[in-house]
Amino acid sequence: MTSASAEIAELVARTALRDRAAFRDLYGRTSAKLFGVTLRILRDRSEAEEALQEVYVKIWQRADRYVAGSCSPISWLVAVARNHALDILRARKPVHDDIGMALDIADGAPDPEQSAVAGGERSRIESCLGELEADKADAVRGAYLDGYSYEELAERYRVPLNTMRTWLRRSLMKLRACLSA
Amino acid sequence: MSMEGHDSGGLDEDKVLVGEYAFGLLDAAEHARMARRIAAEPALGAEFGLWQSRLSSLDREFAETPAPAAVFGKIESRLFGAPTGPQAGLWNSLVFWRALAAGALAVAALAIGFSLLRPARLDPQEFATQLVAALQSQEGSGVEFVALYDTVTGNVRLTALSGSVVPDKDYELWMIEASGTPVSMGVIPMERTEMTLPEDMQAHFTPGTVLAVTLEPKGGSPTGVATGPIVAMGKATMI
Repeated sequence: MTSASAEIAELVARTALRDRAAFRDLYGRTSAKLFGVTLRILRDRSEAEEALQEVYVKIWQRADRYVAGSCSPISWLVAVARNHALDILRARKPVHDDIGMALDIADGAPDPEQSAVAGGERSRIESCLGELEADKADAVRGAYLDGYSYEELAERYRVPLNTMRTWLRRSLMKLRACLSA
Repeated sequence: MSMEGHDSGGLDEDKVLVGEYAFGLLDAAEHARMARRIAAEPALGAEFGLWQSRLSSLDREFAETPAPAAVFGKIESRLFGAPTGPQAGLWNSLVFWRALAAGALAVAALAIGFSLLRPARLDPQEFATQLVAALQSQEGSGVEFVALYDTVTGNVRLTALSGSVVPDKDYELWMIEASGTPVSMGVIPMERTEMTLPEDMQAHFTPGTVLAVTLEPKGGSPTGVATGPIVAMGKATMI
């Protein structure tokens, strides 16, 4: 872990102990990043601002779930923000099931492998994305970074929904094979 | 047949589903169902962990965007119930002022302690008409002042205990009444200084009045209201 990362991990740990000053500090250090996440996915400033508030409320309530050393603390924080923003997108569509539980799982369960994630990982995912056709790699990135749904991606790439679904599912499996190779 | 009715094209359906889950591609019902399965089935949990660890390096592509200043106050008020309005910043937060004044009292008490160490003063009039405010450093600014106010003469003696001059900036002193409105007392130097409070302000300088120092553009706030960060603050106490 870099020293900045270690400092943020410590702020998360102190936040878990209900240290308001640490929470404030954590907000100061990380809110621009997390606002970048909610803004990119929600594409609406006031909604992104509202979401950011909810994200930090969750961080305050769930800071004890972060397991130091299991993944970088900023990855964990981004996951909380990204999951929350995606949840808002999903909630715009008809809801048939309890989505709160989905969030609980997605925020937690860090994997030991994540401790191995370092600077080199970026080139790895980039090179694996590079093995996909360009438009498919873009669609995969759009799903992760912009929260695009199959419907939106089908519209953007002007293909039928089922075609997009098949494309992306196959692309994910190619990506997975490359990433775990 | 796949559980959600789409053709998996001969792919391992569960692995595809976990991938779709990690990318956020499933609708709410499918997403929730996968979340439960991932929690319950270790093999799926491991699969999800793999995606999470690999994908997190894409997080760098989220551009940092400073959030509006009011957001943190709203978060605090949601969590801790501070009564801040939609536009309320630090200046308008009663809870904020009270909390800081309580902190300032401790230092003021220390200052009183020191003053009591001096040879006893026999003039009760003088003793009763002085106010002290210890202006403590805020947000790690390292700037601290002590202000002594003589209610008879209207004289304010200001001494910097710590802090340094900031290039192209000035420190400005503000008096905040019980109503919460800050009134400028002017730009202040870092060296020991004395000023006489205008008569119309003298009546308002009472125990409980809060003094604050902000960092402003050279020459002081151009608008008459504080524009910069609060670097030091404290509450006046009678000594």
